[in-house]
Amino acid sequence: MDWITTVDHKKIAILYLIAGGFFFGIGGIEAILIRIQLMKPMNSFVSAQVFNELITMHGTTMIFLGVMPIIFAIMNAVVPLQIGARDVAFPFVNALGFWTFLFGGLLLNLSWIMGGAPDAGWTSYTPLSSSEYSGTHGVDFYTIGLQIAGLGTLIGGINFLATIITMRAPGMSYMRMPMFTWTTFITSAIILFAFPAITVGLVLLTFDRILGANFFDVANGGNPVLWQHIFWIFGHPEVYILILPAFGIISEVIPTFARKRLFGYSSMVFATILIAFLGFMVWAHHMFTTGLGNVANALFSISTMLIAVPTGIKIFNWLFTMWGGQIRFTAANLFAVGFVPTFVMGGVTGVMLASAPADFQFHDTYFVVAHFHYVIVGGLVLGLFSGLHYWWPKMFGRILSETLGKWTFWTFMIGFQLTFFVQHFLGLMGMQRRIVTYLPNQDFDLLNLVSSVGAFLMGVGVIMFLVNIVITTRKPVNAPNDPWEDGRTLEWSIPSPPPEYNFKQTPLVRGIDAYWKEKMAGHTEMTPAEPVGSIHMPSATPLPFVMSVGIFIAGLGLMFSKDDFGNAFMNGLFNNYIVVIIGLLITFGAMALRSLYDDHGWHIEPEDQDEKGVRT
Amino acid sequence: MSVQDKSDQQPVKHRHRTEGPQKHVVVFIFSIILTLIAFAAVKAGGVNTSFTIILLVVMAILQVFVQLGYWMHMKDKGHLMPILFMAFGFFVAFTCIIMALYWVWW
Amino acid sequence: MTTSHAEPVSGQLPHEPEKATLEGRNKLIGFWLFLGGETVLFGTLFATFLALRGQTNEGPSANELFHLPLVAAATFILLVSSLTSVFAIQAMHRGNRNALALWLGITVVLGLGFLGIEIYEFYEYVVHKEFGMTTSAFSSAFYTLVGFHGAHVAFGILWIGLIIGQLFRKGLTVVTAPKVYVSAMYWHFIDVVWVFIFTVVYLLGKVG
Repeated sequence: MDWITTVDHKKIAILYLIAGGFFFGIGGIEAILIRIQLMKPMNSFVSAQVFNELITMHGTTMIFLGVMPIIFAIMNAVVPLQIGARDVAFPFVNALGFWTFLFGGLLLNLSWIMGGAPDAGWTSYTPLSSSEYSGTHGVDFYTIGLQIAGLGTLIGGINFLATIITMRAPGMSYMRMPMFTWTTFITSAIILFAFPAITVGLVLLTFDRILGANFFDVANGGNPVLWQHIFWIFGHPEVYILILPAFGIISEVIPTFARKRLFGYSSMVFATILIAFLGFMVWAHHMFTTGLGNVANALFSISTMLIAVPTGIKIFNWLFTMWGGQIRFTAANLFAVGFVPTFVMGGVTGVMLASAPADFQFHDTYFVVAHFHYVIVGGLVLGLFSGLHYWWPKMFGRILSETLGKWTFWTFMIGFQLTFFVQHFLGLMGMQRRIVTYLPNQDFDLLNLVSSVGAFLMGVGVIMFLVNIVITTRKPVNAPNDPWEDGRTLEWSIPSPPPEYNFKQTPLVRGIDAYWKEKMAGHTEMTPAEPVGSIHMPSATPLPFVMSVGIFIAGLGLMFSKDDFGNAFMNGLFNNYIVVIIGLLITFGAMALRSLYDDHGWHIEPEDQDEKGVRT
Repeated sequence: MSVQDKSDQQPVKHRHRTEGPQKHVVVFIFSIILTLIAFAAVKAGGVNTSFTIILLVVMAILQVFVQLGYWMHMKDKGHLMPILFMAFGFFVAFTCIIMALYWVWW
Repeated sequence: MTTSHAEPVSGQLPHEPEKATLEGRNKLIGFWLFLGGETVLFGTLFATFLALRGQTNEGPSANELFHLPLVAAATFILLVSSLTSVFAIQAMHRGNRNALALWLGITVVLGLGFLGIEIYEFYEYVVHKEFGMTTSAFSSAFYTLVGFHGAHVAFGILWIGLIIGQLFRKGLTVVTAPKVYVSAMYWHFIDVVWVFIFTVVYLLGKVG
């Protein structure tokens, strides 16, 4: 019950981790099924229809329901601690963001058992996704499920922005914030500006499908290219939402395990901002072959290649950080160091794709699939593994097994390279994307088999990680404040896991790597910036959960509002939007309750302020 | 009690000169005038179309500037973050407009 | 976190009560951020409209449909309501709860007037001009853009109405002041959006 009503960022982090992990597992199973089908030519392991559903759901689930929530888990667990705050700016909204994401994801995945999953690709291009060519409800689950999950992400972004703007500890100016906090800040800004575009896009597609609108219907004046533009105006910034947190994690892990401060802090900050800014000006590189013309193609080629510059700055800064450091290869650091060359490989194929004329050859082949898996899996996922191993003791008070962690790294990394390296060549040889099978004797067979074997190996790696979690959960909660002994930032100055209020006294920050600065001055603890006092905490509440249930009901109601159920009662309920109205009443009713009844919170008195933290 | 609130030390007995409505009424009248110009330009009809369009857009932008600046206090101290974020929001909106005007039909 | 007091200390409300607490300041910056996102939301809707405004599919066009005097009246009403919401906040800064509630009430009434005009307009189009959501790409874009704005106005009316109620139940305090301020920010924003709507949809529609 505690977990349903919590507004504590540390608990919400764990909720995000569990839910994200669960959906990541589903996405992983979808991947394995895809690779089994593609293991040999003319295979019939799954039908073409099911295959299309698998590839659509694999992409959609992994991005929106798998890795993004895990990113939010780490942001929630770490950022308030790194800035010396007791929680985020809007704890209620934080919980609401989680439950909304969860119910959106559940709605999307219900499609598997309610008439079929969406099957028009994770990009859902029109007119394939319009009602003429997608007559069943699959794509509706996509438009409505993603819309709901997306709302959760948007409010999460606003929350972290406000938190970082107003709640930094005294002495922590913007240029003294840890890099992970900086990347959270910039990522949240990208979320704020990119998600409204997909909100509109999904509304337009929903209106086309359910209300008979004509945005993308050529016969009545619509234009399918409009969908592509709107989707990618969101979609390209989205991939920077995915990778910037990983950059932040790497910028924390590498200095800690090199016992050396991050090289080029200011340029790292500047590069992050530049990547985010440029990220909004490159979207049409996904559309080079649609016929936009030479001027547009040239502009977008150049802007896309430009992004390689700030990214390169970051890579060199990580290398210069390691150079001359006393490097310790913990599991976390293995993942971080493995990230660097793998992400670079993904980045350089990105520059290749950025050349519009070359892209006419690469587009819709496995070359593209190889590229984005290198940056998302070889980049983001390795970064997430690194971050999870690094901050696990802070979140759970236990250190993950280093031995198992190293086994996980090598298995996953080797599996990854096997799976995706060969796909570059498959693409260059002409194997198209999103095809359910391929003819033999095109030299595709061996490479596809290798790729599938690699996928199984990645699966083994993930299972090892899960085993590590289970084994570690049996250990006692006895991790020290600073388990890596070389912690540089504020989260390592408090117990693992932290007490409910995080900091007994808000710390005083004297520079970058605030905790390291105190250590170098001979202190074991941070200097407090306030006296010990009564700490005000927000109250737990079931309203975020209730609001999300309401939106879920409304979404279902909207989706089936034009159906004929064959019985008058159901038809009455759905065709007259009664289910939608009930759902909205629940949500807005809960909102009204929240606004009209003040939460005065509760206090933790000084005498209760020394017990250990979050009981998980 | 947290030390994080910078302006909790509100001087209690200090008499603040509360601003009168004058500036805002001026903004209102200015907005009305800009709106009237825009409507008049369209009603007149005889004016060259591209000129009319530019005039309409300029009138709108001017009106938005004064409303954001005065009615929403964006010109006042302590609004750096709001300005930055609204500006970037307008920038992204602007790229969407460019997309719509040049890269949807050809 | 700061303990925010529900009752004004010795009857003295700080000059800018909406900024007197951390929670209040968070609400303000949080709402500015939200407005940044809403700017992109409406930007995308405007882009869609601009792309599709010529696609009338043998249905009615902008020039045929729009009645500028009506639009001018709606514009004037909304503009006045934005001014009255400024007066409301000024009353709040003077600590005058009753004047605040009065100006907010006038804002709500004007908002209802605007909405009434728009509902009448849509009714005329749908019932008498055969111009509905499904008529053409232009019509879909029109109803979605202008309709989203209208829905925002409707939500704002409901919200400010509740705020007025809250003012009488709980009074003007450092807890209720940020909520009032934020609702006024919202109201200004939808007036700003309307400036672009009357320009891009209606005026440009008549120009061609």
